[in-house]
Amino acid sequence: MGYTWDLSVVVRFLPVLLEGAALTIQLTCIAVGMGILIGTFVGIGRVSRNKLIFMLSSIYVNFIRGTPMLVQLYLVYFGLPAYFGTIPPRMAAIITLSVNSGAYVAEIVRAGIQSIDRGQLEAARSLGMTYSQAMRYILIPQTFKRIIPPLGNEFIAMLKDSSIVSVIALEELVRKGSMLTGRTFRAFEIWTAVALLFLFMTLPITQLVNYTERRLKKND
Amino acid sequence: MIKIVDLQKRFGSLRVLNGITNEIKYGEVVCVIGPSGSGKSTFLRCLNLLEIPDGGQIYFDGVEITDWKKIDLNQIRAEMGMVFQRFNLFPHMNVVENICLAPMKVRKCTREEAEARAYDLLQKVGLKDKALAYPETLSGGQQQRVAIARALAMQPKVMLFDEPTSALDPEMINEVLDVMKALAKDGLTMVVVTHEMGFAREVADRVLFMDDGLIVEENTPEELFNAPQNERTKLFLSKIL
Repeated sequence: MGYTWDLSVVVRFLPVLLEGAALTIQLTCIAVGMGILIGTFVGIGRVSRNKLIFMLSSIYVNFIRGTPMLVQLYLVYFGLPAYFGTIPPRMAAIITLSVNSGAYVAEIVRAGIQSIDRGQLEAARSLGMTYSQAMRYILIPQTFKRIIPPLGNEFIAMLKDSSIVSVIALEELVRKGSMLTGRTFRAFEIWTAVALLFLFMTLPITQLVNYTERRLKKND
Repeated sequence: MIKIVDLQKRFGSLRVLNGITNEIKYGEVVCVIGPSGSGKSTFLRCLNLLEIPDGGQIYFDGVEITDWKKIDLNQIRAEMGMVFQRFNLFPHMNVVENICLAPMKVRKCTREEAEARAYDLLQKVGLKDKALAYPETLSGGQQQRVAIARALAMQPKVMLFDEPTSALDPEMINEVLDVMKALAKDGLTMVVVTHEMGFAREVADRVLFMDDGLIVEENTPEELFNAPQNERTKLFLSKIL
């Protein structure tokens, strides 16, 4: 009960924490960016009538969503070197986060495509367009607009979940937090600051998601 | 032009088409009428293989298109325009883009050619001033006229209409029917699934009455409407006329 707050440690080490936050943002942006790239193709694969493509993309999505990200990270960082030699932590982190994000984005894309009225595909096919033309010119463009809000949520989730790479000594925000705690023994202050920094990063995105959701609703 | 032999279609255990045989000739306007659930729309959707039939054959200009794995189905569909009950315009494109997309991507027209034809067609359906509007800003009747122009832009050999006025408010039905009448007058081959008996009577060369997945009766509109032979036709017409 007699704990006295010493906010000076937070002030003193804020630059260090911000450095960590910068890496968190960087990793998240790369991961979600790559995730969107992977997820678009895999998501299209998940609605494909080609059985092989459907099966491969389903295996990928189910494997990633059905296993802990921590295990995936260990697989990449400690497992893959068996074949590829040592992987730098940063590389391992980017691979894991991107591949992980790709699976979740794939499900967002799949749901987006399936939410488009069947008549759109029928109209495109009735005009003689191939399935891929219909996808490319009709379904995908309409899907992108609809999946902006869930993609924002994926970004928020990844921003938080990326903290998992702290276990392979990547100095993002959480890792910086534990390093500073060890140095200052001011756990409460440091972790409060870390939590608030996460909140400052996620809140604007939440607002943006809510805003686009409202606007899209108006357009429908 | 389109020859249909013993066409059958099931949805699960439900038999929707029970062996339809007919032939649609060049320049003919054929209206398909009948109670809901009689299989009219499914029949129409089988003609361009939006539904894959379970049995029977369809020949388009002598080519068996039901052998769809051996032919270029997209090429066939490009020759058959289709107009849907719910318009199905592409909401992310304006009117001209809606019309030009397929000619450019399927027929490999240049943008200039496609746009020139699009404006001609918009003139024809009376919507030249809406060329740059987006579908959501148009009334149902206007959307359907754009949908007709979009299908015509492919210069199809035949136009299939799937209840084109059923989703429209009453005051908009005529503007769509007038466009269709003009097309019929131009000699376009048309197959029209419709509940508009006035239109069928005025425009059709031949009317097919369908019930339970079969063509129960077919005749010229005068004969079919004034002197129906089949009991089911009589019953249906007595309910709606």
